Amino acid sequence: MIRQTSLFLGYELRFLLRNPVWPLFGIMQPVLYLLFFAPLLGRTTASGSMPEVLAMFTPGSMMMIALFGSLFAGFGMINETRNGVLERLAVSPAWPPAIILGRVAKDMLVLVIQAILVMGVAMLMGLRIGLPAFLIMLLLMAVTGLFAASLSYGLALAIKDENGVSQLVQFFAMPLTLIAGLFLPVSLGPDWLQTLARFNPLYYGVEAGRSLFRGDLGDSTIPIAFALLIGLALITMVWSMRSLRRLAS
Amino acid sequence: MIIEAHGLRKTFHAKRGRGKTEEVEAVRGIDLEVQKGEIFAALGPNGAGKTTTVRMLATFIAPTAGTARVAGFDVVKEAAKVRENIGYVSQAGGVDENNPGIDQLLLAGRIAGLSKKQALARADELLAAFSLTEIARRPARTLSGGQKRRFSIALGLVTAPPLVFLDEPTTGLDPQNRANLWDEVRALRDRGTSVLLTTHYLDEADALCDRLVIIDHGTVVAEGTPSSLKKEVAGDVVTLKLKGVDEAAEVLRAQSYVKEVRTEEGLLRAYLDDGEHGLPHLLRVLEERDLTLESISLDRATLDDVFLRHTGRSLRDAA
Ligand SMILES: Nc1ncnc2c1ncn2[C@@H]1O[C@H](COP(=O)(O)OP(=O)(O)OP(=O)(O)O)[C@@H](O)[C@H]1O
Ligand SMILES: [Mg+2]
Repeated sequence: MIRQTSLFLGYELRFLLRNPVWPLFGIMQPVLYLLFFAPLLGRTTASGSMPEVLAMFTPGSMMMIALFGSLFAGFGMINETRNGVLERLAVSPAWPPAIILGRVAKDMLVLVIQAILVMGVAMLMGLRIGLPAFLIMLLLMAVTGLFAASLSYGLALAIKDENGVSQLVQFFAMPLTLIAGLFLPVSLGPDWLQTLARFNPLYYGVEAGRSLFRGDLGDSTIPIAFALLIGLALITMVWSMRSLRRLAS
Repeated sequence: MIIEAHGLRKTFHAKRGRGKTEEVEAVRGIDLEVQKGEIFAALGPNGAGKTTTVRMLATFIAPTAGTARVAGFDVVKEAAKVRENIGYVSQAGGVDENNPGIDQLLLAGRIAGLSKKQALARADELLAAFSLTEIARRPARTLSGGQKRRFSIALGLVTAPPLVFLDEPTTGLDPQNRANLWDEVRALRDRGTSVLLTTHYLDEADALCDRLVIIDHGTVVAEGTPSSLKKEVAGDVVTLKLKGVDEAAEVLRAQSYVKEVRTEEGLLRAYLDDGEHGLPHLLRVLEERDLTLESISLDRATLDDVFLRHTGRSLRDAA
């Protein structure tokens, strides 16, 4: 099973290595936000210093790559529901979950690499974080990618329509971004917004990131974020594998 | 017996908008028996249910009713075993446009359990057999339709399976490549591989297969070897174009050497066992009745005539 998953992963990575520029475009958006938006946020933190602003803002901009990158990962699979690629793989001796797991693993890897680059830029701008926080943040990005990518494959396989999937993803991405406090912590907002945010898994991801970047590794949002994202990832993974089995109907 | 199917049925519930669904009876009770080592064809017009039947046999979709054993295993209960024993080339092809063919061949080999070395050797073999070596490293989207089709067939053969399903393998191929593919399919049989293929083309079924079924509206309307099926209808067909088709039909039906007469829109087909000798008589009778011909042709009966006999429609029009 691990062999099968790594075979599919290898196939995907070979494609990526032939076309390595696309994921770089994916980090342009968060990097631009870091460069041009973060400096406007000086008054939102206690001291107003750049490192503090970056510790608040960088986790949000990293979640942004997951939302606007990994959530679209399934897009390429929609065509494969029609051109016979998935049909061929479905009746091949392949272990069926590996077909999706291999791709999800690739998307996770891409997201982690993108996250490293974004954190690198933030550090050049003055962000200071410890190694444990850095590594836990990468893990957090990995599980976020796991969730976002399998959700995306699930949508692709269930809806099988480019238009439907892109509309749906756009429809969810914007409110999730705002209600998670991606740009500014929701704690700055009114109570109702804070209550609403508690129903958004992304909120915990962002808050966990902020705790990590503050060096507050014992904060409760960190285990909550991991548990929530891993749980959701498992559910969406099972869902997308089911949809793969029902591809023909 | 490599394929044994009884009473296969498939009913789809297709969405029709506004929450309504429509029942489509794609396959309505098909029995099939394919012997080891034979080339078996399913011939039928568009929408006959060929793809649906093949998909059920290849374990891609589960039958609504009926049972099938492929390579000795039940397609529902032992799907994994079936998959180890088949190659499946879908009508859509299943070539990944973004990646080179060689990568896809290697992946297909590796997921079937070949080592890196074995997969590479097998890929080289297939690339050579289908003259694809030169274009193996180009992303598949840069290939022509026929080149892609050859890749899709090579992909289905990677595991050298005892049974191969080819769903419309020659659609989109030029005559040269079509003939090459026929040779390739015959070569498969020579190596002991069984082949189930679907086609719209009468000449293809005629030239290539050992036995065939004719499928229409989800059922088998005729079954046999190409020659036995053609024997059902008389050996030769005279096709006449003339005014007064009905009168001519009546006259010809009375002639002892005419086995059967069919008419359609200004055309008359008379089936004769011995066309060369019957034709002069036939012409004389029509002349006596002052029925003037616009055109006439004498042909050997084809599978189309078999189809016409069983469905009342011509296969060329049925689509
Ligand atoms: N997934 C599906 N949902 C609903 N209806 C379907 C589905 N697949 C096939 N059908 C219907 O079932 C019937 C048989 O289709 P099928 O694809 O088996 O025909 P075919 O003989 O392969 O035709 P062709 O020669 O055009 O490929 C058609 O009427 C088709 O519309
Ligand atoms: Mg078909």
